[in-house]
Amino acid sequence: MKKKTSDTAYREPLFDRIFKPRTITLPNGHTVKKPVSRVPLITVIVIAVILVSAKVTEFDFGIILKRGYQLGYILGRIFHPDWSYFGADPANTSKLFSALLDTIKMSVLGSVIGATLALPIAVLSSTNINKNGIVVWFFRILLMVVRTLPTLIIAKFAALIFGLGTFAGTVAIVVFTFGVVAKMMYESIETIDMGAFEASESFGANKFQAFWNACMPQILPTYLSYCLYSLEMNIRAAAILGYVGAGGLGILINEFIGWRDYESLGAVLLALFVVVFIIENTSQYLRKKLS
Amino acid sequence: MAKEKKTLSTNHPLTIEEAYASRPRLWWIYTLIILIVAALLGWSGTSITYKGLATKGITIAQGVGYGLIHPDTNLLFNLTNEGVPFQLLQTVAIAVLGTLIGGILAIPFSFLACDKIVPKWVSVIFRAVILGIRTIPSLVWALVWIRVTGPNAFCGVVTQSVCSIGMICKMYINAIEDIDKNILESLDAAGCNGFQKIRYGVLPQIIPNFISTVIYRFDINVKDATTLGIVGAGGIGAALIQCMNSSRWSMVGAYLCGMIVLMIFIEIFSTKIRTRLARG
Amino acid sequence: MIEFKHVDKVYPNGVKGLQDINLTIDQGEFVAIIGLSGAGKSTLIRTINRMIDVTGGQLIVDGTDVMSLKGKAMRRYRRKIGMIFQSYNLVTRATAIKNVLTSMVPDMNFFRVLLGLFSKEQKMHALEALDKVGILDKAYTRCDQLSGGQQQRVSLARTLNQNPTIILADEPVAALDPITAKQVMSDFQRINKEMNITVLINIHHVDLALKYCSRVIGIRAGEIVYDGPTDQVTQEVLDDIYNGTAIPTAEK
Repeated sequence: MKKKTSDTAYREPLFDRIFKPRTITLPNGHTVKKPVSRVPLITVIVIAVILVSAKVTEFDFGIILKRGYQLGYILGRIFHPDWSYFGADPANTSKLFSALLDTIKMSVLGSVIGATLALPIAVLSSTNINKNGIVVWFFRILLMVVRTLPTLIIAKFAALIFGLGTFAGTVAIVVFTFGVVAKMMYESIETIDMGAFEASESFGANKFQAFWNACMPQILPTYLSYCLYSLEMNIRAAAILGYVGAGGLGILINEFIGWRDYESLGAVLLALFVVVFIIENTSQYLRKKLS
Repeated sequence: MAKEKKTLSTNHPLTIEEAYASRPRLWWIYTLIILIVAALLGWSGTSITYKGLATKGITIAQGVGYGLIHPDTNLLFNLTNEGVPFQLLQTVAIAVLGTLIGGILAIPFSFLACDKIVPKWVSVIFRAVILGIRTIPSLVWALVWIRVTGPNAFCGVVTQSVCSIGMICKMYINAIEDIDKNILESLDAAGCNGFQKIRYGVLPQIIPNFISTVIYRFDINVKDATTLGIVGAGGIGAALIQCMNSSRWSMVGAYLCGMIVLMIFIEIFSTKIRTRLARG
Repeated sequence: MIEFKHVDKVYPNGVKGLQDINLTIDQGEFVAIIGLSGAGKSTLIRTINRMIDVTGGQLIVDGTDVMSLKGKAMRRYRRKIGMIFQSYNLVTRATAIKNVLTSMVPDMNFFRVLLGLFSKEQKMHALEALDKVGILDKAYTRCDQLSGGQQQRVSLARTLNQNPTIILADEPVAALDPITAKQVMSDFQRINKEMNITVLINIHHVDLALKYCSRVIGIRAGEIVYDGPTDQVTQEVLDDIYNGTAIPTAEK
């Protein structure tokens, strides 16, 4: 990544101007300046932050000891999943599997659409390809705002606007993927080698042709890798979107927890575990092949 | 990627026709991949039906838009427990404690999951445990922990501690496996014992990595903390959802604005610190 | 034919890149441009294909005033001028033939460019270009698996694929070892003679310039201080161009 070297002289960091470095003199007269350690200050800040946080969240470790047995009880039930969901009871099985498939479909479709939208925006947000500073900053700020919204909140909005169901969930995933992938992409695009681009322009290619032939081959492997990564993330995110009514396994989770039906919850989690395991390993294998 | 060309039996130089004839034909791989992806997409679209906007869909969208432009300034600057600043503070506090505790707890877990340090079967068990922790969504963890701690911010802290272990362990394990063994070799040559090698060879390599991971996870946890509020585990999410359900759009706008500003702040902050750590 | 008439180049920050350049280069000449780094060699050749704009004077190439060209006309003009770079500027992940084919892209329609569909003719033509520089057997090898000299030849093949009338080379051999540098220089010489292409080459290594080129232009601080046949270049001339500093050669 190219960085402009500063023409101004070395500017002392603020910390060193407040806490002056000590000068150590060797026996032979040579001196060296040792900057004061930052560690004490950082420790103080960190401890202060911890104390404030503990107060604000009403930290109470005692409760865990008192009621921790509940956790054991619940986890125990979760780990005895209700096997009727895996074939014994057809109604239950179809319930689980249709929700599971819904979740997968939401993530796949959402990831693909989000990633597809992200690519052109990422290109437009890269300073080495888009020379228009205003457009670059506009898109970067837009992406930053999009990324600050948690998926579940987007899903809640989508559910309110588009009604309950998988469409809302897909919209939420599209938005989330778009924000995340676009950012990762423009950071990556800024590091590519523009030499071939320059060469293309020199023999008369227009900007699109030069970009497509010289830059895309460099960007593509990284792009596909990020797409697979976002698929991994999205499966997990999609699983809970149903909690706010946006379709998929989350609806079941909401239902079962409401009824304290932890065995059924265990079945859902087991199914999720298997799917996540498969997708993660496949995705990691493919990503290794890409790089 | 090109198939090895059959070597020419005679010694004449390669002609253009021969070179063209022996070109690798990859188009069928690309077509296959595109067909598979298209099939996947087609299948995915089957249960995603666009039912049109909900009955009050447009009103809600308008309401949100209105709220964002006219946030409730009383709420924005209200310093009591209901006000935006306190809610944001609580959200951040949940993330701080959750990340720190998770980061500390993750250390033994990740060492026990590295097959270079412990026997293979031990690492397999712990990797499975970590995977299990990671698969259970944080929302589910929160709902479980609520039974223990009650619906308050502390629940959020505990949930995040447990969830953070999952992702932080994954990154710690990567850092541990990437350790440059050569440094250990040179310390060995200088006559250091095991403990010294760890203190001076291993720790300086992994600590900046660990700190960077923790900060990265903190960023994500702040977002997650707002989500946890939806199930009642404290933080700004709870208030936000209440207002959304009762259509108080200005308040929704106030909370959203607060959240967005906070996140942007934290992200810039954490990116700066992490680049400092990486570049020194 | 390339004509510079009182050409100036002043950068926005006031720095003078070129001062009052007057130059005529006929079709088929093999010209070496020598001088210190920063003297203006790169600037000079980049004005010819308008990678850099001139700020004063006139630059006429084959009857066209270069500064009058805009947009599509300029891109069409660039088709006839090939450029070779010091760092090869290839798409390293792509095969040699793919790189050579990219020079056909400006003439193709949008969808062919998008999908990378080249006709059989185009592919044969690209293979011929690779054959002319002697690396036909590496046509389907990825460029990052080729040596520096081979990559520069792919770059040369890419340029030949355009059927240019002029080839501009900006320090083409600077990154190559002496033996490979000589091979590439003799490739340039052969192309210049056999295909009657004007070759302008920026070069640091004076001995190579003197050995392979027929005409030498010396630049110092943006001005031409020598313009004449190679056999009339004396030590004094070189000292003048290089301001009395040590003369760089390929062997050092």
